Amino acid sequence: MSISRDIVKQIKELPPSAAIALNTNVDGYIEVLRAALDMLPADLDLECIYITTSLPSQSIQHVLKLLEVDMDRVHFIDCISQIMVGATTNDPRIQYVESPTMLENIMIKVEYLTRRSNKPNLVLLDSMNSLAIHNNIKILSEFLHIMVNNLRAKEAYTLIMYLEEEGAEEIARMLNLVCDASIDVTTMLDSMISDDED
Amino acid sequence: MGSESLEASEGIANIDRDKCRTGIDGLDNILNGGIPRGNTVLITGSCGTGKTTMSLEYLVHGASNDEPSLFISVTEDTSKLLNNMIPYEFFDNTLIENGKLVLIDMPVMYKRLGLDKSEFTTEDIDVIVQAIGDIVKELGIKRLVIDSITNVCFQLKTNEKIRDFILQLGKVLSGLGCTSLLVSEISPAEQRYSLYGVEEAIADGIILMSNLERRGDLLRTLQVVKMRGTTHSRSKYVLDMTHIGVLLVPLLKGGGGI
Repeated sequence: MSISRDIVKQIKELPPSAAIALNTNVDGYIEVLRAALDMLPADLDLECIYITTSLPSQSIQHVLKLLEVDMDRVHFIDCISQIMVGATTNDPRIQYVESPTMLENIMIKVEYLTRRSNKPNLVLLDSMNSLAIHNNIKILSEFLHIMVNNLRAKEAYTLIMYLEEEGAEEIARMLNLVCDASIDVTTMLDSMISDDED
Repeated sequence: MGSESLEASEGIANIDRDKCRTGIDGLDNILNGGIPRGNTVLITGSCGTGKTTMSLEYLVHGASNDEPSLFISVTEDTSKLLNNMIPYEFFDNTLIENGKLVLIDMPVMYKRLGLDKSEFTTEDIDVIVQAIGDIVKELGIKRLVIDSITNVCFQLKTNEKIRDFILQLGKVLSGLGCTSLLVSEISPAEQRYSLYGVEEAIADGIILMSNLERRGDLLRTLQVVKMRGTTHSRSKYVLDMTHIGVLLVPLLKGGGGI
């Protein structure tokens, strides 16, 4: 079974209101995108809200097109393009937030997109590490707590990506408090590599 | 304590009072279901905080819900206001065509009443209040917005006349079962909720809209400071004006004071 298929299997074992932390590294990033934005939405007929706080949404769109993801299902909340002055477009699939520090505006855009959607939703937050560059951990915890609970009430999946790197212990602790489950993509990749070597 | 004094006490809610749902979900949640019917509420804030847009949305939801609604514009031309409403998905022009949503230019009304002057007398106040009351009665208006009350007060000059005007107006509108929003303009640095300091004391409710600067970001905020007849949140909320209307989320505190 592929890593992305395994991620999908684990998520499907949880109820639709679940909040799930996805611990990944750069190698697992594509697997997570494929699982969260392609396989799972196709299986469960979901609409996706991709919150990007690390890369501009246009760059992500290029990656998703290469992965042949059905873009009709994906809406973006782009928190990074406006701080790179002039990098925005009029694409109706993209909602811009001026800066990753405007956490309330991220919540408002999520609310806006979930209200406009007529299908169940999946929200993918990419990533906690980049949000932590711009915000202190206390306000980030508060943000996560409110957003996850709002999405829980709407029976939407919340997937939160983070990289387990040095100094990210606080993020891991915070996610542990808020999330219902954690999927360790890094370990899944490591065990796949060691299986291949065997 | 008798029931009369209970109702008069601020902060003690009469949970049985009928509510006027604003249609703005976040605000209705803050107000535990809406504005108590017949209340006169001051929507106060500096420029660009969303007072007019939110007031118009309140009226549109009312009109869509079969509650005749009236917008009295004191400064801005109503045709210009209507053009600004077109992008909003909740706005439907048939509400204007079938008379559910009525927009009146106050300067036109002044002219018709022979009040085309810079300062109003006590008698003029009676005429204005009666004219507004007559329109509300005739059209069966259930929701009213005056944008802005500050501009009307500007022509009243004295605090006594302002108090008299708002008291009279509130009494007439409340008596007709009309739930009213009076838009009040204040400067960003203002330490009170209204320009003359009188309006805030008389109104049944105060909704404060502000711009909050946090680490270089400018956030639009809303706070219900007072609302007679209901329990309500007094926390600050962040708002945004979207195509589907005003959306509100709690202001994050981040464990520290702002």
